[in-house]
Amino acid sequence: MDEVRVGVSSCSSEAEQTQSRDTVEETAASSSSGWRPRELAFVAFVPRDKEEQQEDERVNAAGKFLKYRAFVRRPLVGRLTKEIVETYRICNPQFKYSEDLNPKRFLTSPSTGVLNDGYDNANSDLILTVNLVLIHVEKSRRYIVKDLLGHGTFGQVAKCWDSDTNSFVAVKIIKNQPAYYQQALVEVTILTTLNKKYDPEDKNHIVRIYDYFVYQRHLCICFELLDTNLYELIKMNHFRGLSIGIVQLFSKQILCGLALLKDAGIIHCDLKPENILLCTSSVKQAEIKIIDFGSACMENRTVYSYIQVYIHCRKKAFMINPVVILIIWYLNYMSYLFPLQSRYYRSPEVLLGYQYTTAIDMWSFGCIVAELFLGLPLFPGASEFDLLRRMIEIIGGQPPDYVLRDAKNTSKFFKCIGSLQNIEISEGSKNGRVYQALTEEEYEARDLKKPSIGKEYFNNMNLEAIVTNYPYRKNLPKEDIAKEKQTRLALIDFLRGLVEFDPAKRWSPFQASKHPFITGEPFTHPYRPSPETPYIPVVQNIKVDNHPGGGHWFAAGLSPNVSGKNRASLYSSPHFQMAQHPPANSYGSVGSHGSYNDGAGLGSSYGSYGESSNMFAYYSPIAPSGMNMHNQGSMSMLGNSPDARRRIKYQPGNGLGVSPSGGNFAPLPLGASPSQFTPPSSYSQIPVGSPGHFGPTSPARGASHGSPLGKTAAASQFNRRKNWGHSGSPQTQETAFSSHWHGQYPDSTSQAEGTSQAPGSSPSYIQSNINPGNWKQRGSGGVSANQKIPSMVMPGSNMNSQSTELTHDNVETGFSLPDPGDWDPNYSDELLLQEGGSDESSLSTEFGRSMNLGSIEPWSGFGRLNGPGQTFSTVEMGSPPTHDFQAAYIHSMSKPFHLMPHISQNSPSRFGHQSVQRFTHGRPPQGSDWNQIKIQAPSGFSNVGPRSPRNASFTGNMSWGRRMNPPTSSIPPISNIPPTSRSRKDYARID
Amino acid sequence: MENSTQESHIRSENSVTYDSPYPLYAMALSPNTNSHPQQRIAVGSFIEEYTNRIDILNFNPENFSIKPQPSLSFDHPYPPTKLMFHPATNSSLQKTSSDLLATSGDYLRLWEVRENSVEALSLFNNSKTSEFCAPLTSFDWNEIEPKRIGTSSIDTTCTIWDIERGVVETQLIAHDKEVYDIAWGESRVFASVSADGSVRIFDLRDKEHSTIIYESPQPDTPLLRLAWNKKDLRYMATILMDSNKVVILDIRSPTTPVAELERHRAGVNAIAWAPRSSKHICSAGDDTQALIWELPTVAGPNGIDPMTMYSAGYEINQLQWSAAQPDWIAIAFANKMQLLRV
Repeated sequence: MDEVRVGVSSCSSEAEQTQSRDTVEETAASSSSGWRPRELAFVAFVPRDKEEQQEDERVNAAGKFLKYRAFVRRPLVGRLTKEIVETYRICNPQFKYSEDLNPKRFLTSPSTGVLNDGYDNANSDLILTVNLVLIHVEKSRRYIVKDLLGHGTFGQVAKCWDSDTNSFVAVKIIKNQPAYYQQALVEVTILTTLNKKYDPEDKNHIVRIYDYFVYQRHLCICFELLDTNLYELIKMNHFRGLSIGIVQLFSKQILCGLALLKDAGIIHCDLKPENILLCTSSVKQAEIKIIDFGSACMENRTVYSYIQVYIHCRKKAFMINPVVILIIWYLNYMSYLFPLQSRYYRSPEVLLGYQYTTAIDMWSFGCIVAELFLGLPLFPGASEFDLLRRMIEIIGGQPPDYVLRDAKNTSKFFKCIGSLQNIEISEGSKNGRVYQALTEEEYEARDLKKPSIGKEYFNNMNLEAIVTNYPYRKNLPKEDIAKEKQTRLALIDFLRGLVEFDPAKRWSPFQASKHPFITGEPFTHPYRPSPETPYIPVVQNIKVDNHPGGGHWFAAGLSPNVSGKNRASLYSSPHFQMAQHPPANSYGSVGSHGSYNDGAGLGSSYGSYGESSNMFAYYSPIAPSGMNMHNQGSMSMLGNSPDARRRIKYQPGNGLGVSPSGGNFAPLPLGASPSQFTPPSSYSQIPVGSPGHFGPTSPARGASHGSPLGKTAAASQFNRRKNWGHSGSPQTQETAFSSHWHGQYPDSTSQAEGTSQAPGSSPSYIQSNINPGNWKQRGSGGVSANQKIPSMVMPGSNMNSQSTELTHDNVETGFSLPDPGDWDPNYSDELLLQEGGSDESSLSTEFGRSMNLGSIEPWSGFGRLNGPGQTFSTVEMGSPPTHDFQAAYIHSMSKPFHLMPHISQNSPSRFGHQSVQRFTHGRPPQGSDWNQIKIQAPSGFSNVGPRSPRNASFTGNMSWGRRMNPPTSSIPPISNIPPTSRSRKDYARID
Repeated sequence: MENSTQESHIRSENSVTYDSPYPLYAMALSPNTNSHPQQRIAVGSFIEEYTNRIDILNFNPENFSIKPQPSLSFDHPYPPTKLMFHPATNSSLQKTSSDLLATSGDYLRLWEVRENSVEALSLFNNSKTSEFCAPLTSFDWNEIEPKRIGTSSIDTTCTIWDIERGVVETQLIAHDKEVYDIAWGESRVFASVSADGSVRIFDLRDKEHSTIIYESPQPDTPLLRLAWNKKDLRYMATILMDSNKVVILDIRSPTTPVAELERHRAGVNAIAWAPRSSKHICSAGDDTQALIWELPTVAGPNGIDPMTMYSAGYEINQLQWSAAQPDWIAIAFANKMQLLRV
């Protein structure tokens, strides 16, 4: 029938044929090639009328053209392509074909399986092939690897097909090494928190994290798939600046993300055009997102200034949660180990080795905005010296004296042209500069090598000139030029507030977002941001829970940044669960100087810190059951040292109080300055006593306060460590760590070895667990509390032993598969602490000492502080009376804290008495492997400077995102496969 | 059947039909060499048995006659997926009286078609195991460098053979899924289509990269066939499985087709560019029609209509447009091979 119909239709319209033939001939004649089809066997095409078309469409929709097939059979072309295997099998039942024998296209290079039973290559990267399936076992989800989007030292990013959602995702496959693993957990933690808690509706331009799991011992993190990054975009624009409208559009979005980060107290630490990606979903044009939180960390001060103290008075005294202290200390400590920020976007304070805050991201942001406009980096420093030189040249001025005075690297770039007295005097007065930047010659003389100086792109102009003189786009109408002129003035003013040397004066995201450049309001006069909303530090209320079983936790420390309830609640850490604590009646705080002086048992406490931090690290969201912390026994320590008390009050303020920027830190933590931040060292350096005692001493330099102690301790430990013969980097901190460890547990060599190195590798660990929010909150509460609280709790040696145990446990648990419970904000677990033995004096001393130690070297590293842990809990802020804060704390803790299941088992003993068995307890079969790995990892990881893998990996050039398709205009000759088009490195040669 | 026979009778001056004992799929026309007054046509059977047949026919354009050459018929394991004569325009490369014929199926095979006999010259097998076999879906003989044959396989690879030395020049994992067709553009440049829905271009001088020229709109909609416009190498055409569309690509503008020809009323099964014109392409499909299109410089709002059409009465499975006989298009449907004068 159909044939007939077709035949009819072709023959029936003779009249039309003639007509259409003419058309055909016309077209044919116009074609350049001589040939044209004649109507011999073929006849002129007759378009169908509408009815026919509609009918065809109906038929097609219904039956896929079957009406034309006499037999319902597949076309032969399909049977010899798509179905060729079946066809051949019909022809010959013996025919065999196996997909498994197909050559594999390796995406990973090198592709030789060396490690991890051949799954990993020599770099510990999982060997990826196309169509490899990454399986999330618990969820039975399959991600089919399709392509490699990028790679770095952390691992690889693959484009994967998620068959559950029928969409592509980007999966970051982390190297099978504890250091990277843990670091990645930080990213998971931070991003999950950001996504779920702060940005549930995906409005803040932060990349979404979808899933994470462990596959073949690799942590895999699943993100939304994004498109090109801004660097690629600029590159595609041939390094010409984007139109100022686009710059505004992007700036606004980035600011939106940064505001969120600021709220969350998270520092991205590696903001650069490569880490800002266009979205693929073209729902919104030109929407961008911030990616790569692998370098992110919690704001130091946040973490630092919050101290949780558990006061437990049923037996003797108070107990501090040593873990918390350890975390605090360790976080701070680690934060200096890793270099942060890619050079062009590195803020002066990072470059100089000064404490940093979210303000460093604002600096980077300023650099990015400028680069979007200019097409070239604003400060393309070929070296740090060059970078600083460019900053000074383009911005004018130099970092403020208070920064230079305290920054670790000041002497690398500046010479002091004033005396110490001058410093004092000069504070406040801006004219008398104490420091002068080194000239190239001077730098060379000091450094014994020439600093590399990059090419000059902007003809030594200053910022105003660079922006003003930047060529306008061609063919821009005059009125548009006038308009853009105004916008450029706004841009200059905007940039001025961002690339501001003084981190305290640099605008916050909120302040910047009100700038006319962002709001689009006419720019009439230089923008003066309204002061940051004052934080609510002192009167922050934390409930004290007096329930019978509960002890008192409180947070001590000042947090200038605690801005509100919401924030605090978000942050609250799930990890600490209080319950069943005997009623506590006193408050304590950690880190008093008094304890310091008492000084017994140096080494042990120090080591324990390191250890505990490890444990924290392992206590990652992924850990299934959380950690079993055996704090109980070991933790007790209470000191009622008045010093300690005072200390608490001022802890955040030490050193800083004196400095101009430190205004916030003045005795009462009310200040609002974003730059505030308390270095770990502050503990040690602040003399016991009243603020009056605080001299101008800077934390960095003033070793005089207490630091000598620390030094000694470190040194001795170092020696010890040597005796033990562990290989490792000679770095003081690291050494100290391990030595302590050894010192503590002379008996358990094997353990000690395994764990001793861990600290080095564990920076991330700690971070992941710590919860900034809690800290903050507690801190703020703590302030008020402190004033009223006479007694301090000091962690002691007991704590050390505990911590070691913890570490071991962590080792076990850390590598097990993720447990949703760990993430779930609503998930709650057992309580943390129970009673423990107490040894007041020793505890406090040790703690003090450890703090001291910590303070000694923190400046030597550059790292960043990574770190928030899981922060899910519902802390209630804002309840009035001071004493209530305990309750608040408890609430926060009551969320998922897994640390304490084994509390009751603890041994009260301080030194090395902890049970070894714990170490093996529950460890998965592969635990030993991990341990080994761990041993190596730390040394590399803890290396400061460019050597550290972290540096390379996270700040490296991995561009993540899809490569762009080439502009269509470029016409590749056939013989040259166009570089323009999307190329991939994907297929392998087999022969 | 009657209908088409009738038609061929009606237009006997413009078409010739050959009836085969079995369904036909693969088909090849020999290049025009002066030594052959008559053109050879090879047709391959599609029989669902191990043993299939390849027949050689002689076509005389003078009197429109097709004569089977029973002495030149031979067995072929499995239905051949493609047949192709040696593309050499230079007859010195071959013996005057014989043609080289390549076939693909389970393996690539080379046959010498002599005056009165056919000899199996060689079998090209790159498989590591004897037990398993990855069938070849297609191949293409490099006109410029006739020692090169590229094959496409369902094992996701393309293999480039040096048939003179009988060795693999290179094997590339060309796609993420089965490769269904391959076409040479230059002596070292080829393109392929795959079940992964992409058209990729490869250059043997840079084997580490390929260029994706097109990806089917729904991911993983297989692309079955690929035809590279030999008269204008910027253009190629491909067809999607179960689609009535012919997608015309311009390799200068990857990912966006320059045209989509959508006048077939059922799935398109075969495409062929005109050997003498850069603007014309013929397509044939399950709607029993063969359509000849001229690519306009600017496409109208309602899409592109073909210039001419031919209805075969049966689903057309195969289409060849011989460079040697540019005025003749060969189609295969059911048990028939038909030559159409255009």
